[in-house]
Amino acid sequence: MRRTTALASASVLLADVTLAATGGGESVGEEVGVEPQASVGMPQLDPTHFPSQIFWLIVSFAVMYWLFARFGVPRVADILETRQDRIAADLDRAATFRREAEAAMAEHERLVAEAQAKARAHLDAALERVKAEAARQEADLERSLQRQISDADARIAQARDEALRALEDVAVDVSRAAVDRLIGVEVATDEAAAAVANARREAA
Amino acid sequence: MAGPLEQFMIKPIIPLPEIAGLDISFTNSSLWMGIAVIASYSLVMVGTRHAALVPGRLQSVVEIAYEFVADMVRDNAGKEGMKYFPIIFTLFMFILFGNMLGMFPFGFTFTSHIIVTFTMAICVFVGVTVIGFMKHGVGYLGLFAPPGAPKAILPVLVPIEILSYCVRPISLSVRLFCNMVAGHTMLKVFAGFAVALGALGIAPLAIAVAITGLEFVIAFLQAYIFTVLTCIYLHDALHMH
Repeated sequence: MRRTTALASASVLLADVTLAATGGGESVGEEVGVEPQASVGMPQLDPTHFPSQIFWLIVSFAVMYWLFARFGVPRVADILETRQDRIAADLDRAATFRREAEAAMAEHERLVAEAQAKARAHLDAALERVKAEAARQEADLERSLQRQISDADARIAQARDEALRALEDVAVDVSRAAVDRLIGVEVATDEAAAAVANARREAA
Repeated sequence: MAGPLEQFMIKPIIPLPEIAGLDISFTNSSLWMGIAVIASYSLVMVGTRHAALVPGRLQSVVEIAYEFVADMVRDNAGKEGMKYFPIIFTLFMFILFGNMLGMFPFGFTFTSHIIVTFTMAICVFVGVTVIGFMKHGVGYLGLFAPPGAPKAILPVLVPIEILSYCVRPISLSVRLFCNMVAGHTMLKVFAGFAVALGALGIAPLAIAVAITGLEFVIAFLQAYIFTVLTCIYLHDALHMH
Protein backbone atom coordinates (compact mmCIF):
# COMPACT_ATOMS: atom_id res chain seq x y z
CA MET A 1 0.00 0.00 0.00
CA ARG A 2 2.93 2.30 0.79
CA ARG A 3 4.25 1.74 -2.68
CA THR A 4 0.94 2.77 -4.21
CA THR A 5 0.99 6.08 -2.37
CA ALA A 6 4.56 6.60 -3.49
CA LEU A 7 3.48 5.95 -7.06
CA ALA A 8 0.60 8.35 -6.71
CA SER A 9 2.75 11.18 -5.41
CA ALA A 10 5.33 10.49 -8.10
CA SER A 11 2.68 10.69 -10.78
CA VAL A 12 1.35 13.97 -9.36
CA LEU A 13 4.87 15.33 -9.47
CA LEU A 14 5.36 14.23 -13.06
CA ALA A 15 1.95 15.56 -14.00
CA ASP A 16 2.99 18.96 -12.63
CA VAL A 17 5.97 18.83 -14.93
CA THR A 18 3.78 18.01 -17.93
CA LEU A 19 1.34 20.67 -16.80
CA ALA A 20 4.11 23.20 -17.10
CA ALA A 21 5.32 21.67 -20.36
CA THR A 22 1.93 21.63 -22.05
CA GLY A 23 1.51 25.34 -21.42
CA GLY A 24 3.04 25.65 -24.87
CA GLY A 25 0.84 22.85 -26.20
CA GLU A 26 -2.19 25.05 -25.97
CA SER A 27 -0.76 27.58 -28.35
CA VAL A 28 0.31 24.77 -30.70
CA GLY A 29 -3.30 23.66 -30.88
CA GLU A 30 -4.37 27.18 -31.77
CA GLU A 31 -1.65 27.61 -34.37
CA VAL A 32 -2.61 24.42 -36.16
CA GLY A 33 -6.24 25.46 -35.91
CA VAL A 34 -7.57 22.05 -35.04
CA GLU A 35 -10.60 23.58 -33.37
CA PRO A 36 -11.27 27.08 -34.59
CA GLN A 37 -14.63 27.44 -32.79
CA ALA A 38 -13.26 26.74 -29.34
CA SER A 39 -11.04 29.30 -27.76
CA VAL A 40 -8.52 26.81 -26.32
CA GLY A 41 -7.92 24.40 -29.23
CA MET A 42 -7.98 20.74 -28.26
CA PRO A 43 -9.62 20.52 -24.85
CA GLN A 44 -7.10 17.80 -24.00
CA LEU A 45 -4.30 20.36 -24.08
CA ASP A 46 -6.00 22.80 -21.74
CA PRO A 47 -4.17 22.45 -18.45
CA THR A 48 -6.95 24.06 -16.42
CA HIS A 49 -8.52 20.73 -15.55
CA PHE A 50 -5.34 18.66 -15.34
CA PRO A 51 -5.17 18.64 -11.53
CA SER A 52 -8.81 17.66 -11.27
CA GLN A 53 -8.42 14.85 -13.80
CA ILE A 54 -5.29 13.49 -12.12
CA PHE A 55 -6.87 13.77 -8.71
CA TRP A 56 -10.06 11.96 -9.70
CA LEU A 57 -8.16 9.42 -11.77
CA ILE A 58 -6.08 8.50 -8.74
CA VAL A 59 -9.10 8.46 -6.46
CA SER A 60 -11.26 6.35 -8.76
CA PHE A 61 -8.44 4.02 -9.70
CA ALA A 62 -7.43 3.56 -6.08
CA VAL A 63 -11.03 2.84 -5.09
CA MET A 64 -11.40 0.42 -7.99
CA TYR A 65 -8.12 -1.30 -7.13
CA TRP A 66 -9.16 -1.64 -3.51
CA LEU A 67 -12.57 -3.04 -4.51
CA PHE A 68 -11.13 -5.50 -7.00
CA ALA A 69 -8.14 -6.58 -4.92
CA ARG A 70 -10.25 -6.93 -1.78
CA PHE A 71 -13.50 -8.41 -3.14
CA GLY A 72 -13.73 -8.86 -6.91
CA VAL A 73 -10.60 -10.79 -7.80
CA PRO A 74 -10.65 -13.16 -4.79
CA ARG A 75 -14.29 -13.95 -5.52
CA VAL A 76 -13.70 -14.87 -9.15
CA ALA A 77 -10.49 -16.71 -8.21
CA ASP A 78 -12.44 -18.59 -5.57
CA ILE A 79 -15.11 -19.63 -8.08
CA LEU A 80 -12.53 -20.80 -10.59
CA GLU A 81 -10.56 -22.62 -7.91
CA THR A 82 -13.69 -24.27 -6.52
CA ARG A 83 -14.56 -25.46 -9.99
CA GLN A 84 -11.04 -26.71 -10.58
CA ASP A 85 -11.05 -28.50 -7.22
CA ARG A 86 -14.46 -29.94 -7.91
CA ILE A 87 -13.40 -31.26 -11.30
CA ALA A 88 -10.20 -32.68 -9.85
CA ALA A 89 -12.13 -34.26 -6.99
CA ASP A 90 -14.67 -35.73 -9.39
CA LEU A 91 -11.91 -37.14 -11.55
CA ASP A 92 -10.24 -38.55 -8.44
CA ARG A 93 -13.49 -40.11 -7.35
CA ALA A 94 -14.05 -41.54 -10.80
CA ALA A 95 -10.55 -43.02 -10.74
CA THR A 96 -11.20 -44.49 -7.28
CA PHE A 97 -14.47 -45.98 -8.44
CA ARG A 98 -12.76 -47.40 -11.46
CA ARG A 99 -10.06 -48.95 -9.31
CA GLU A 100 -12.72 -50.35 -7.00
CA ALA A 101 -14.67 -51.71 -9.94
CA GLU A 102 -11.55 -53.29 -11.33
CA ALA A 103 -10.73 -54.81 -7.96
CA ALA A 104 -14.30 -56.10 -7.68
CA MET A 105 -14.07 -57.52 -11.18
CA ALA A 106 -10.78 -59.26 -10.35
CA GLU A 107 -12.31 -60.60 -7.13
CA HIS A 108 -15.34 -61.77 -9.07
CA GLU A 109 -13.18 -63.50 -11.63
CA ARG A 110 -11.14 -65.09 -8.89
CA LEU A 111 -14.31 -66.34 -7.18
CA VAL A 112 -15.70 -67.67 -10.42
CA ALA A 113 -12.45 -69.48 -11.15
CA GLU A 114 -12.39 -70.83 -7.61
CA ALA A 115 -15.99 -71.96 -7.86
CA GLN A 116 -15.29 -73.58 -11.20
CA ALA A 117 -12.29 -75.38 -9.79
CA LYS A 118 -14.33 -76.50 -6.78
CA ALA A 119 -17.18 -77.63 -9.00
CA ARG A 120 -14.77 -79.53 -11.18
CA ALA A 121 -13.22 -81.18 -8.14
CA HIS A 122 -16.67 -82.07 -6.84
CA LEU A 123 -17.63 -83.43 -10.21
CA ASP A 124 -14.44 -85.43 -10.47
CA ALA A 125 -14.95 -86.81 -6.98
CA ALA A 126 -18.55 -87.68 -7.72
CA LEU A 127 -17.54 -89.28 -10.99
CA GLU A 128 -14.85 -91.23 -9.18
CA ARG A 129 -17.33 -92.31 -6.57
CA VAL A 130 -19.89 -93.34 -9.13
CA LYS A 131 -17.26 -95.22 -11.08
CA ALA A 132 -16.08 -97.01 -7.97
CA GLU A 133 -19.68 -97.83 -7.04
CA ALA A 134 -20.35 -99.06 -10.54
CA ALA A 135 -17.23 -101.19 -10.48
CA ARG A 136 -18.19 -102.59 -7.08
CA GLN A 137 -21.70 -103.36 -8.23
CA GLU A 138 -20.34 -104.91 -11.37
CA ALA A 139 -18.01 -107.05 -9.32
CA ASP A 140 -20.89 -108.02 -7.01
CA LEU A 141 -23.02 -108.90 -9.94
CA GLU A 142 -20.18 -110.80 -11.49
CA ARG A 143 -19.65 -112.65 -8.27
CA SER A 144 -23.34 -113.49 -7.82
CA LEU A 145 -23.60 -114.53 -11.45
CA GLN A 146 -20.52 -116.65 -11.07
CA ARG A 147 -22.07 -118.22 -8.01
CA GLN A 148 -25.29 -118.84 -9.82
CA ILE A 149 -23.37 -120.33 -12.73
CA SER A 150 -21.39 -122.58 -10.47
CA ASP A 151 -24.56 -123.53 -8.59
CA ALA A 152 -26.24 -124.30 -11.85
CA ASP A 153 -23.21 -126.32 -12.95
CA ALA A 154 -23.34 -128.23 -9.72
CA ARG A 155 -27.03 -128.83 -10.15
CA ILE A 156 -26.51 -129.98 -13.73
CA ALA A 157 -23.71 -132.30 -12.66
CA GLN A 158 -25.85 -133.67 -9.90
CA ALA A 159 -28.76 -134.15 -12.28
CA ARG A 160 -26.53 -135.90 -14.74
CA ASP A 161 -25.09 -138.10 -12.04
CA GLU A 162 -28.55 -138.92 -10.89
CA ALA A 163 -29.63 -139.59 -14.45
CA LEU A 164 -26.59 -141.74 -15.00
CA ARG A 165 -27.24 -143.62 -11.77
CA ALA A 166 -30.82 -144.11 -12.85
CA LEU A 167 -29.59 -145.24 -16.22
CA GLU A 168 -27.27 -147.73 -14.44
CA ASP A 169 -30.20 -149.04 -12.47
CA VAL A 170 -32.14 -149.33 -15.68
CA ALA A 171 -29.14 -151.04 -17.29
CA VAL A 172 -28.84 -153.46 -14.33
CA ASP A 173 -32.55 -154.23 -14.54
CA VAL A 174 -32.40 -154.57 -18.31
CA SER A 175 -29.35 -156.80 -18.14
CA ARG A 176 -30.95 -159.00 -15.41
CA ALA A 177 -34.10 -159.22 -17.44
CA ALA A 178 -32.15 -159.98 -20.59
CA VAL A 179 -30.07 -162.70 -18.85
CA ASP A 180 -33.21 -164.16 -17.33
CA ARG A 181 -34.91 -164.22 -20.67
CA LEU A 182 -31.96 -165.44 -22.67
CA ILE A 183 -30.45 -168.03 -20.41
CA GLY A 184 -32.99 -168.27 -17.63
CA VAL A 185 -30.55 -167.41 -14.94
CA GLU A 186 -31.64 -165.15 -12.23
CA VAL A 187 -28.71 -162.87 -11.58
CA ALA A 188 -28.43 -161.08 -8.29
CA THR A 189 -28.77 -157.32 -8.35
CA ASP A 190 -25.27 -156.82 -6.93
CA GLU A 191 -23.69 -159.03 -9.54
CA ALA A 192 -25.55 -157.40 -12.35
CA ALA A 193 -24.56 -153.98 -11.07
CA ALA A 194 -20.92 -155.04 -10.86
CA ALA A 195 -21.07 -156.40 -14.37
CA VAL A 196 -22.65 -153.24 -15.70
CA ALA A 197 -20.04 -151.15 -13.98
CA ASN A 198 -17.38 -153.43 -15.40
CA ALA A 199 -18.80 -153.08 -18.87
CA ARG A 200 -18.92 -149.34 -18.53
CA ARG A 201 -15.33 -149.19 -17.41
CA GLU A 202 -14.40 -151.32 -20.46
CA ALA A 203 -16.39 -148.98 -22.73
CA ALA A 204 -14.75 -146.01 -21.27
CA MET B 1 -23.63 22.75 -34.33
CA ALA B 2 -20.95 21.65 -31.92
CA GLY B 3 -17.51 21.08 -33.35
CA PRO B 4 -15.99 17.60 -33.47
CA LEU B 5 -13.75 18.39 -30.52
CA GLU B 6 -16.44 19.69 -28.23
CA GLN B 7 -17.12 16.15 -27.00
CA PHE B 8 -13.76 16.27 -25.27
CA MET B 9 -14.61 19.40 -23.25
CA ILE B 10 -14.22 19.10 -19.50
CA LYS B 11 -17.24 20.52 -17.72
CA PRO B 12 -17.16 20.96 -13.95
CA ILE B 13 -20.20 19.46 -12.27
CA ILE B 14 -19.47 20.09 -8.60
CA PRO B 15 -16.95 22.87 -8.01
CA LEU B 16 -14.72 22.01 -5.09
CA PRO B 17 -12.47 24.39 -3.17
CA GLU B 18 -8.90 24.48 -4.39
CA ILE B 19 -6.37 22.41 -2.51
CA ALA B 20 -2.85 23.80 -2.47
CA GLY B 21 -3.77 26.04 -5.36
CA LEU B 22 -5.02 23.12 -7.47
CA ASP B 23 -8.56 22.91 -8.78
CA ILE B 24 -9.94 19.44 -8.14
CA SER B 25 -13.56 20.09 -9.09
CA PHE B 26 -15.73 17.08 -9.82
CA THR B 27 -16.14 17.18 -13.62
CA ASN B 28 -17.82 15.09 -16.30
CA SER B 29 -14.50 13.26 -16.61
CA SER B 30 -14.58 12.41 -12.89
CA LEU B 31 -18.21 11.35 -13.23
CA TRP B 32 -17.42 8.86 -16.00
CA MET B 33 -14.41 7.55 -14.12
CA GLY B 34 -16.76 6.89 -11.22
CA ILE B 35 -19.26 5.26 -13.57
CA ALA B 36 -16.47 3.06 -14.97
CA VAL B 37 -15.52 1.97 -11.45
CA ILE B 38 -19.11 1.25 -10.43
CA ALA B 39 -20.01 -0.44 -13.74
CA SER B 40 -16.97 -2.72 -13.85
CA TYR B 41 -17.21 -3.59 -10.17
CA SER B 42 -20.95 -4.23 -10.49
CA LEU B 43 -20.38 -6.47 -13.49
CA VAL B 44 -17.92 -8.58 -11.53
CA MET B 45 -19.99 -8.74 -8.36
CA VAL B 46 -23.39 -9.21 -10.02
CA GLY B 47 -21.95 -11.71 -12.47
CA THR B 48 -20.52 -13.86 -9.69
CA ARG B 49 -23.36 -13.43 -7.16
CA HIS B 50 -24.50 -17.05 -7.54
CA ALA B 51 -20.95 -18.39 -7.73
CA ALA B 52 -22.42 -21.11 -9.92
CA LEU B 53 -20.39 -24.20 -10.69
CA VAL B 54 -21.72 -24.03 -14.24
CA PRO B 55 -21.52 -20.32 -15.07
CA GLY B 56 -24.45 -18.40 -16.51
CA ARG B 57 -24.06 -15.79 -19.22
CA LEU B 58 -22.98 -12.89 -17.02
CA GLN B 59 -20.70 -15.06 -14.90
CA SER B 60 -19.09 -16.35 -18.09
CA VAL B 61 -18.34 -12.77 -19.13
CA VAL B 62 -16.63 -12.12 -15.80
CA GLU B 63 -14.73 -15.40 -15.89
CA ILE B 64 -13.62 -14.87 -19.48
CA ALA B 65 -12.37 -11.37 -18.61
CA TYR B 66 -10.54 -12.78 -15.59
CA GLU B 67 -9.00 -15.67 -17.51
CA PHE B 68 -8.12 -13.36 -20.38
CA VAL B 69 -6.11 -11.05 -18.14
CA ALA B 70 -4.70 -13.96 -16.11
CA ASP B 71 -3.44 -15.64 -19.29
CA MET B 72 -2.05 -12.33 -20.48
CA VAL B 73 -0.09 -11.84 -17.25
CA ARG B 74 1.11 -15.46 -17.17
CA ASP B 75 2.17 -15.47 -20.82
CA ASN B 76 3.88 -12.07 -20.82
CA ALA B 77 5.13 -11.55 -17.28
CA GLY B 78 5.53 -15.15 -16.16
CA LYS B 79 4.32 -16.88 -13.00
CA GLU B 80 5.92 -14.26 -10.73
CA GLY B 81 3.84 -11.63 -12.50
CA MET B 82 0.67 -13.16 -11.06
CA LYS B 83 1.50 -11.34 -7.82
CA TYR B 84 0.54 -8.15 -9.62
CA PHE B 85 -2.57 -9.64 -11.19
CA PRO B 86 -5.10 -7.54 -9.20
CA ILE B 87 -3.59 -4.22 -10.29
CA ILE B 88 -3.27 -5.33 -13.90
CA PHE B 89 -6.82 -6.64 -13.92
CA THR B 90 -7.98 -3.32 -12.47
CA LEU B 91 -5.97 -1.44 -15.10
CA PHE B 92 -7.48 -3.49 -17.92
CA MET B 93 -11.05 -3.14 -16.67
CA PHE B 94 -10.62 0.58 -15.98
CA ILE B 95 -9.31 1.34 -19.47
CA LEU B 96 -11.76 -1.05 -21.14
CA PHE B 97 -14.72 0.53 -19.38
CA GLY B 98 -13.35 4.01 -20.01
CA ASN B 99 -13.13 3.26 -23.73
CA MET B 100 -16.44 1.43 -23.94
CA LEU B 101 -18.44 3.96 -21.93
CA GLY B 102 -17.22 6.55 -24.41
CA MET B 103 -19.19 4.71 -27.10
CA PHE B 104 -22.47 5.51 -25.39
CA PRO B 105 -24.31 8.59 -26.66
CA PHE B 106 -23.71 11.52 -24.28
CA GLY B 107 -20.94 9.50 -22.70
CA PHE B 108 -17.52 10.93 -22.01
CA THR B 109 -14.30 9.12 -22.86
CA PHE B 110 -11.87 9.93 -20.09
CA THR B 111 -9.18 7.88 -21.87
CA SER B 112 -9.28 10.45 -24.69
CA HIS B 113 -7.40 12.86 -22.44
CA ILE B 114 -3.64 12.71 -22.63
CA ILE B 115 -3.27 13.72 -19.01
CA VAL B 116 -5.28 10.69 -17.90
CA THR B 117 -3.47 8.19 -20.13
CA PHE B 118 -0.13 9.79 -19.31
CA THR B 119 -0.75 9.61 -15.57
CA MET B 120 -1.59 5.92 -15.90
CA ALA B 121 1.44 5.29 -18.13
CA ILE B 122 3.81 7.15 -15.80
CA CYS B 123 2.45 5.19 -12.83
CA VAL B 124 3.07 1.95 -14.74
CA PHE B 125 6.54 3.17 -15.71
CA VAL B 126 7.52 4.26 -12.21
CA GLY B 127 5.96 1.18 -10.62
CA VAL B 128 7.71 -1.22 -13.00
CA THR B 129 11.04 0.58 -12.56
CA VAL B 130 10.70 0.45 -8.76
CA ILE B 131 9.90 -3.29 -8.96
CA GLY B 132 12.92 -3.77 -11.20
CA PHE B 133 15.30 -2.05 -8.80
CA MET B 134 13.78 -3.76 -5.78
CA LYS B 135 14.24 -7.14 -7.39
CA HIS B 136 17.65 -6.71 -9.01
CA GLY B 137 19.13 -3.73 -7.19
CA VAL B 138 21.70 -1.83 -9.24
CA GLY B 139 21.88 -4.87 -11.51
CA TYR B 140 18.62 -3.70 -13.08
CA LEU B 141 20.72 -1.17 -14.98
CA GLY B 142 22.05 -4.21 -16.89
CA LEU B 143 18.76 -4.04 -18.78
CA PHE B 144 20.34 -1.28 -20.85
CA ALA B 145 23.22 -3.52 -21.96
CA PRO B 146 21.65 -6.53 -23.65
CA PRO B 147 23.68 -9.72 -23.11
CA GLY B 148 25.57 -10.93 -26.15
CA ALA B 149 25.96 -7.46 -27.61
CA PRO B 150 29.55 -6.75 -28.72
CA LYS B 151 31.39 -4.41 -26.35
CA ALA B 152 32.29 -2.10 -29.20
CA ILE B 153 28.71 -1.04 -29.89
CA LEU B 154 27.77 -0.61 -26.24
CA PRO B 155 28.45 3.15 -26.24
CA VAL B 156 25.84 3.47 -28.97
CA LEU B 157 23.50 0.78 -27.75
CA VAL B 158 23.19 1.85 -24.12
CA PRO B 159 21.94 5.39 -24.84
CA ILE B 160 19.44 3.97 -27.34
CA GLU B 161 18.24 1.44 -24.78
CA ILE B 162 17.91 4.11 -22.11
CA LEU B 163 16.03 6.37 -24.49
CA SER B 164 13.68 3.60 -25.59
CA TYR B 165 13.08 2.73 -21.93
CA CYS B 166 12.30 6.30 -20.97
CA VAL B 167 10.05 6.81 -23.98
CA ARG B 168 7.81 3.96 -22.84
CA PRO B 169 5.35 6.07 -20.82
CA ILE B 170 5.00 8.49 -23.70
CA SER B 171 4.37 5.85 -26.36
CA LEU B 172 2.07 3.97 -24.00
CA SER B 173 -0.06 7.01 -23.21
CA VAL B 174 -0.01 8.67 -26.63
CA ARG B 175 -1.10 5.43 -28.33
CA LEU B 176 -4.24 5.12 -26.22
CA PHE B 177 -4.98 8.83 -26.26
CA CYS B 178 -4.59 9.19 -30.04
CA ASN B 179 -6.69 6.16 -30.82
CA MET B 180 -9.51 7.38 -28.65
CA VAL B 181 -9.37 10.95 -29.93
CA ALA B 182 -9.02 10.02 -33.59
CA GLY B 183 -11.90 7.54 -33.56
CA HIS B 184 -14.28 9.81 -31.70
CA THR B 185 -13.37 12.86 -33.75
CA MET B 186 -13.84 10.96 -36.99
CA LEU B 187 -17.22 9.69 -35.82
CA LYS B 188 -18.28 13.23 -34.99
CA VAL B 189 -17.00 14.58 -38.32
CA PHE B 190 -18.88 11.98 -40.34
CA ALA B 191 -21.98 12.48 -38.22
CA GLY B 192 -21.68 16.21 -38.97
CA PHE B 193 -21.49 15.47 -42.70
CA ALA B 194 -24.55 13.25 -42.44
CA VAL B 195 -26.53 16.15 -40.99
CA ALA B 196 -25.12 18.76 -43.37
CA LEU B 197 -25.65 16.76 -46.57
CA GLY B 198 -29.33 16.12 -45.94
CA ALA B 199 -30.61 13.27 -48.14
CA LEU B 200 -27.10 12.53 -49.42
CA GLY B 201 -26.04 12.16 -45.81
CA ILE B 202 -26.83 8.47 -46.03
CA ALA B 203 -23.29 7.78 -47.26
CA PRO B 204 -21.45 9.42 -44.33
CA LEU B 205 -24.05 7.91 -42.03
CA ALA B 206 -23.18 4.44 -43.33
CA ILE B 207 -19.51 5.20 -42.80
CA ALA B 208 -20.25 6.47 -39.29
CA VAL B 209 -22.05 3.21 -38.52
CA ALA B 210 -19.09 1.23 -39.85
CA ILE B 211 -16.67 3.36 -37.82
CA THR B 212 -18.80 2.78 -34.73
CA GLY B 213 -18.22 -0.97 -35.14
CA LEU B 214 -14.53 -0.35 -35.67
CA GLU B 215 -14.43 1.88 -32.60
CA PHE B 216 -15.75 -0.92 -30.40
CA VAL B 217 -12.92 -3.12 -31.64
CA ILE B 218 -10.41 -0.33 -31.03
CA ALA B 219 -11.84 0.35 -27.57
CA PHE B 220 -11.13 -3.26 -26.63
CA LEU B 221 -7.88 -3.50 -28.55
CA GLN B 222 -6.35 -0.40 -26.97
CA ALA B 223 -7.24 -1.59 -23.48
CA TYR B 224 -5.59 -4.88 -24.39
CA ILE B 225 -2.49 -3.22 -25.82
CA PHE B 226 -2.04 -0.96 -22.80
CA THR B 227 -2.35 -3.94 -20.47
CA VAL B 228 -0.19 -6.33 -22.47
CA LEU B 229 2.59 -3.73 -22.72
CA THR B 230 2.36 -3.24 -18.97
CA CYS B 231 2.81 -7.00 -18.62
CA ILE B 232 5.82 -6.96 -20.93
CA TYR B 233 7.41 -4.10 -18.97
CA LEU B 234 6.68 -6.05 -15.81
CA HIS B 235 8.42 -9.04 -17.36
CA ASP B 236 11.49 -6.89 -18.01
CA ALA B 237 11.45 -5.77 -14.39
CA LEU B 238 11.06 -9.32 -13.06
CA HIS B 239 13.28 -11.27 -15.43
CA MET B 240 15.41 -8.55 -17.06
CA HIS B 241 15.61 -10.14 -20.51
